[in-house]
Amino acid sequence: MAQDSVTTDAGTINAEKTKKHFQKDAYSPYAGRNFPDRPLWGEMHLHTSWSPDAVGGGTRVGPEEAYRFGRGEEVISSTGQPVRLSRPLDWLAVADHSDVMGVMAEVIAGNPGLMQDPVLRRWNGMMNAGQDQAMAAVMEGIAAQSKGQLPKAITDPKLFKDIWQRYISIADKYHDPGRFSTLIAYEWTSNYGGGNNLHRNVIYRDSADVAKQMLPLTTFQTENPEELWKWMERYEEKTGGNVLAIPHNGNLSNGTMFAVETFDGKPLTKEWAEARSKWERLYEVTQGKGTSEQHPALSPGDEFAKFEIWDKGNLNVVPKKPGMLNFEYAREAFKNGLEIQRKLGVNPFKFGLVGATDAHTGLTAAEENNFFGKFPSSEPDPERWNEDAFNFEGRIVKGWELGASGYTGVWATENSREAIWDALHRKETYATTGPRMTVRFFGGFDFTAEDAQSRQPAVAGYTKGVPMGGDLQSAPSGKAPTFLVGALKDSLSGNLDRIQIIKGWLDKQGKAQERIYNVSWGDADKRKLDAKGNLPPVGNTVNVSKATWTNTIGDPELITVWSDPDFDAKTSAFYYARVLEIPTPRWNVYDAVHYGIKIGPEVPVSIQERAYTSPIWYTPQGN
Amino acid sequence: MSSKSNAMNSPPNASQNSGPVSNIPGARIMAVLSEPLLHFLLIGALLFCAYTYLQSDTRSTPQSFVVTAGKIEHLASLFSRTWQRPPTRLELEGLIGDYVREEIAYREGMKMGLDQDDTIIRRRIRQKLDFIADDLGSQIEPTEEQLTTFLNESPDSYRIDPRITFRQVFLDPERHALDLEESMAKLLDTLKSDPIADALHLGDQTLLEHQNADRSKREVASNFGQQFAEEIVKLPLQQWHGPIRSAYGVHAVYITERTDGRLPPLNEVRDLVRRDWEQKHRTDLVESFYQGLMKKYEVAIEWPDTAAEEP
Repeated sequence: MAQDSVTTDAGTINAEKTKKHFQKDAYSPYAGRNFPDRPLWGEMHLHTSWSPDAVGGGTRVGPEEAYRFGRGEEVISSTGQPVRLSRPLDWLAVADHSDVMGVMAEVIAGNPGLMQDPVLRRWNGMMNAGQDQAMAAVMEGIAAQSKGQLPKAITDPKLFKDIWQRYISIADKYHDPGRFSTLIAYEWTSNYGGGNNLHRNVIYRDSADVAKQMLPLTTFQTENPEELWKWMERYEEKTGGNVLAIPHNGNLSNGTMFAVETFDGKPLTKEWAEARSKWERLYEVTQGKGTSEQHPALSPGDEFAKFEIWDKGNLNVVPKKPGMLNFEYAREAFKNGLEIQRKLGVNPFKFGLVGATDAHTGLTAAEENNFFGKFPSSEPDPERWNEDAFNFEGRIVKGWELGASGYTGVWATENSREAIWDALHRKETYATTGPRMTVRFFGGFDFTAEDAQSRQPAVAGYTKGVPMGGDLQSAPSGKAPTFLVGALKDSLSGNLDRIQIIKGWLDKQGKAQERIYNVSWGDADKRKLDAKGNLPPVGNTVNVSKATWTNTIGDPELITVWSDPDFDAKTSAFYYARVLEIPTPRWNVYDAVHYGIKIGPEVPVSIQERAYTSPIWYTPQGN
Repeated sequence: MSSKSNAMNSPPNASQNSGPVSNIPGARIMAVLSEPLLHFLLIGALLFCAYTYLQSDTRSTPQSFVVTAGKIEHLASLFSRTWQRPPTRLELEGLIGDYVREEIAYREGMKMGLDQDDTIIRRRIRQKLDFIADDLGSQIEPTEEQLTTFLNESPDSYRIDPRITFRQVFLDPERHALDLEESMAKLLDTLKSDPIADALHLGDQTLLEHQNADRSKREVASNFGQQFAEEIVKLPLQQWHGPIRSAYGVHAVYITERTDGRLPPLNEVRDLVRRDWEQKHRTDLVESFYQGLMKKYEVAIEWPDTAAEEP
């Protein structure tokens, strides 16, 4: 916890002395308030019954109920269970698939226009027969889509136009600035090459009257992300609106999400790198289908990399080949980005980090003790941990591997669609695996230990540095970057174990390296760094038979100023913070206690929830 | 349902309207129908009936129906959609012949009751009924009075939160494990004795903001915890209070300004109320539509012995 005085290489500093460096407390509490003072919680990747795979899987919760749930109301899930969030979210974007958006719901409802097509009429029958037949219809549909053989009526632009108009007007209807903001969004779902996840969510700054002027891009037009960037450019030119794209599940892309060549396999160009970094501002680093910050094989020294890893293959569980992992994880992409920047002068992978659920239930429920799964089949049920979440020709991912993750904290100046989008665009965001801890992260050259003692760290942060997602350039001679980093626990979740700063940089040969620094930790009176900078584990208080834990270890709040001890002013680098909670029960433990069931020994019983901030990049002058 | 046998009682005048029990899934007749021997007997009986029925029908006056020109055009357009060209005369005759067969099969099949116990047909019919009920709901304009009543019945959804401007000074219980009460008393003394004391530098360091300007109660709850928010909206203004407990420790709190929460008049929240009224009205209508239908039936549910305890 905080101390009265701290010793740094500049001498001992105490709070009394520190005081005079600060302005006298302004009488007006409104003064000096042009920076964000609380993180706004939400997510931008939620599917409802308007996504064909969701409705095929039995989801009946549509966008209206999804927004109602997000703003804190109780709703009935597709499996008939009442559900409510522990606390409302501040904002939400429903992002249904643009491919046949809303159409399968129309097929089920027997839209007369669609029922003239014999295939669709047959699917209508099968869907309404339920269970096995409905699932068979869904599989037939997915197969037809991947072969480009969907009935024409389904992809009719007239129908799509009506549906899009209705979809975006629902987002507008639930937009309640100051209390609950909604953002218009859709997912462009390219499964190029048989299940290689190249999915992107497109997030609008605009309201329905602007968004309606152009139909979303679908994969019927193209599976090439570079074409998506062109579509985004056309949209902005035509409407004067603004959009940004957020890729997800690099872990299921079999080496294609952050590939260092173009979609056609050509060498990257400066223009390509500029377009990518212009449109793809963020990356969804954690969600239900795994967390893709870093793979343990790529960072054997990172004791926390092995976290909710999905590495059996791509979306069709086609196994990976050696080398693919290098182009699937955020930290590797940050590193590769530095190398590309050195060659081309532009870093294509300069993205911030966000978390989302990717739930297909219409329910953004990412808390371990309130986890409503990915599909209706993984809504609470004594069997869900042992179901086959994915089963492609016998290649299986089990239900327990689904993660109750994640949300995004956005440092926006107010709760409005525009302010939230602007904060997303400037990457002033952080991802969490579900809990709502407050995380501040600032970089500059002048932070001193006393800034961490301040009662208003954010004032120091914004005055003397840049927030997460920002840039540092040309270090003053003899100075290394300093970082003011602090975290406050979620009032309903576990204490904090530690804050780490993860650094990546280019070595003398131009090869990217990484290193993890433990910079602040709980129980500091008992836990000390060893010679290598490692810290003893925080411990574990999880009671598996009762699904409880105690906040008797770790600290509720951590804050420090850290200066990079290995800094070389001539080389590019990035820094981001990773905040770990103490272990708390994983969702399956709540299942076991609630249903009184036994869960297999292969399933982890505790989890160290965490937050990942967007990086701050250092770029030397003339680079 | 937990009891072994559970009957939904119908009002006394409903019995004469009773339809077949088999309309309700899970009802007695369904259980009986799952007996294999009965299946065999029933199929036999059905075939016998069908045979005699068909025999008798051919002898009676033939029924008539017309394949209209409109129908034929419709058949032709369906064909064109699939084949991207109009049908030839011969093909059209084939389509008409097929349609006649379909129509007759449909009529005769219905007479034989072949639609019964067919999951696809049952669900489709139920769905059509749902749509009718849903459509009814969406066509009704709410009156001013209905919206006002709706607003008054669920005021919490529209209530405008109290807004509070306050300062807080934090004491970390871990750092004051032995002297938390004493430290708080001392802190309050200092704060109260000097109304413009330099509060910013008292207490312990925290990421919680010292100055909180114009926050809604909900925002306060999201930063400090629900209990803290509940307490500070009740505190008198312009003086230091403490200790106020939050999710993180204890605080001394000074409220500079507060706007009370209020229930806005309808005009201020008309769109929201209307949106919610429409949604509730639709759901209610479908529900009452079904409740009305349910009244026409007396349903007995007989749980099999094995499922008696845990349905």
